[in-house]
Amino acid sequence: MPKGATTVRALAWAIALQCSAAFAWAATPAENFPRMANGKPDLSGHWSNPYTPDMAVQGKVLDPATRKPLELSRAPLPDAKASAAGSAARTLDLPYTDWGLKHWKSYDPVNDGDYAGSCLPFGMSRNINSPHGVQFVHNPASIAMLFEQNTWFHWVPLAGQKWPEDIPPSWNGVSTGHWDGDMLVVETTGFNGYTRLDTAGHPHSRQLKLTNTFRRIDARTMEHTVIVHDPKTYTRDWMNVRTWKLKPAADVVMEYSCEENNLGNLFSGAIKPWKPPENEDEE
Amino acid sequence: MKNKSLLRGICLLACTLSGAGAAFAHHSTAAEFDSTKPVTFTGTVQKVMWMNPHIYTHIEVKQPDGATFVYHVEGGPPNSLFRQGWRKDTLKVGAVVTVSGWRAKNPDSPNVGQATISAADGKKLFSGDGPAKAAE
Repeated sequence: MPKGATTVRALAWAIALQCSAAFAWAATPAENFPRMANGKPDLSGHWSNPYTPDMAVQGKVLDPATRKPLELSRAPLPDAKASAAGSAARTLDLPYTDWGLKHWKSYDPVNDGDYAGSCLPFGMSRNINSPHGVQFVHNPASIAMLFEQNTWFHWVPLAGQKWPEDIPPSWNGVSTGHWDGDMLVVETTGFNGYTRLDTAGHPHSRQLKLTNTFRRIDARTMEHTVIVHDPKTYTRDWMNVRTWKLKPAADVVMEYSCEENNLGNLFSGAIKPWKPPENEDEE
Repeated sequence: MKNKSLLRGICLLACTLSGAGAAFAHHSTAAEFDSTKPVTFTGTVQKVMWMNPHIYTHIEVKQPDGATFVYHVEGGPPNSLFRQGWRKDTLKVGAVVTVSGWRAKNPDSPNVGQATISAADGKKLFSGDGPAKAAE
């Protein structure tokens, strides 16, 4: 083979290898987040979760199958109680069942008792929606969610541990987690039905199943999704998608005692104390 | 320098108070405060109650009859304020401030919510839509 042809061939190979390497680099996302010993992403950290007082904001209620906004009537509800968050009047903003709509229209924490103002547990959904951060403490067997909101915690087993089948219903429910590739999937059931999904007061029943997913995007970013499945309250499942950011290292999770001031407000009557419903079957 | 410190304190208080103005709070603003009962007063800072879920700044006001009345002005959540650089003693006792807000629905309550604040010279330091976060 002439010397020149060999040189050209070598050059072609070199270019091909360079192109191949460049293509591989471009096709592989820069993964700069830590992984645990079992190879799964380590979700540990103090996360800034966007404050979500209203999960039904237009455009944010998605079809879990397509991640496209659901078409919702958003018709006014003139017979609904005053808004519990903001000044906008309540509308048909979610796919309510009759039971769900009744509980959406009638929510009135000012006059009927405010469970959040009474410093009772907000519930899994509203904890995640709160404006304060959440510290994740993660190992292969479990993840602990340390919510700054009212210094609450939520523990999620990841290695097949089982909750007692007869564990009583609770404010925050009980969760189990598993991996779908690099995405952590947390399923929560067992709610007592006393809570609301958000500050606005979107309802749920004891049939609620929350599916929260957590997927690290890069060193500082995580995608969080939540699917609301509650056939007693909603005619179909719906979804929110949000972006979480790691807080700066100096920003540490702090104590938060709701009772400090609210006890006085409860005693003075400024906040009406919450009482459990007389007819539990209604919840 | 002292004045700068005082001004910073007042500005921070403005941010603090903006938390009270947040539309969403885990105890409803509408539950405690009455938008039809606006109040404006000038007084001196008596103390800051650094407590969850909202701080309260006690402001002593001289009444026309010579008596004094202490308003309790609701502010934002202390953890959020801490992260913004606010400390319990940032606004010094004795600072003169002017507050506008809503009286509590309970006529016996000294609480004021949805508050804005101005320096004693009338310069408005807070417009009601500051950055402080809601308590929930």
